[in-house]
Amino acid sequence: MSAAGFTGALTVIGAPGGTIHLADGAVTAIDTPWSPSAEVVLLHSGRVPEADWEAAFTAAAVARDQLRAELLRRGLLGEGELEALLRTALADGMFAFAAGFVDSCRTEESPPGHPLPLEPAADASWLVTEALRRLDVLAAFPGPPLRPRDRVLSVPGAVRPGAFLGGGRDEILAAADGRRTSRDLAFALGRGLYVTMLQLARMRADGLIASVAPGLSPASDGEDQAEAASGGATVSGLPRRQKDRPAPPARAEDLPSRAARSVPRMLRPRSEGPSRPRDTR
Amino acid sequence: MVEDALLAEMRALQDRVTGITGTAVASRDGLIVRGDTGGVDPDNLAALAATWLALAQRMSREAGQGMLREAMTRSVGGYVAIYAIGAKAVLVLIGDEGLDMAGLHRESVPALEAIGTLLVDPAPFPAAP
Repeated sequence: MSAAGFTGALTVIGAPGGTIHLADGAVTAIDTPWSPSAEVVLLHSGRVPEADWEAAFTAAAVARDQLRAELLRRGLLGEGELEALLRTALADGMFAFAAGFVDSCRTEESPPGHPLPLEPAADASWLVTEALRRLDVLAAFPGPPLRPRDRVLSVPGAVRPGAFLGGGRDEILAAADGRRTSRDLAFALGRGLYVTMLQLARMRADGLIASVAPGLSPASDGEDQAEAASGGATVSGLPRRQKDRPAPPARAEDLPSRAARSVPRMLRPRSEGPSRPRDTR
Repeated sequence: MVEDALLAEMRALQDRVTGITGTAVASRDGLIVRGDTGGVDPDNLAALAATWLALAQRMSREAGQGMLREAMTRSVGGYVAIYAIGAKAVLVLIGDEGLDMAGLHRESVPALEAIGTLLVDPAPFPAAP
């Protein structure tokens, strides 16, 4: 895609799926259910009030103009600030693909435009390299690698009542209710998937939170939570759910190599032909 | 127990579709049957969902569009979708901003089937001692 200077959209089929928007071989935007968009992050942080955002969006739509221009014209954001935000969201979107499984991709030459593309567009190979680096960082933490679909739970009694931890950890402790996954927490807090997972990995290593693999019910009592804290052991008494897909790799060293096969394939130059579905499952 | 099997089906749907943050099954007359809704009040949700389903079905008829498949709100902070479960119940799904729409449309149909079966065919009462 990069070598051929492709302009259009790459629809990603997988878990997560999503869309990569490209202009002349560089990436302008990524949409995926695993990574909060720049809009979600902005609105959650309160940096741009909801009413102001909606007004800018509407005005841009009515004028058939760029949302970016409207946001800047209204002084809702600075130019550098917006660029940094979009670049961050882009990196997080690519990380989301790397943290999951890509089955196949298909190109669309004239897709609907994205409301907030990054200009200048980002280098695709840098995004992929950075995504893989982030996976390595997460894999370096002790225990089974934390995954976006792992449910997370605050360990009761780990923090003295009324203590303030700072660094975003208090919000995580409050939101880690055993139902939400790492990915759900990112959306609930309006933060990137990677920064959320990095914080969770640290907190898990510090014994503040426990993670449970998807498909299992969250632990419901102290004894089960100790099991769950060991990194995804079956919660006693509850059946293991059948899954359609094989379980993600359990060993830390597996994770970067699977992603290394899947993520660069998405951006294979056009001359190599269409991507084939992964044959290892 | 039917309610636990129901909850299991609801949780399975939540596992399969990224972005579903809450689920509930309510009766057509607005009472909660089973809720797994996070912080959202299940009783209010059930009452609203029953009314909304009735209105949505009327709207569909009024527009000459036949059987309602889904009614959905799309808001700044996410989505709420409702589906009729046969003629007697309604399924409510709450999703965040990253709700996987394609996944939702793919998985909601078999989920409705499975949940509908549970409601039609509850476990028989145990024999009297």
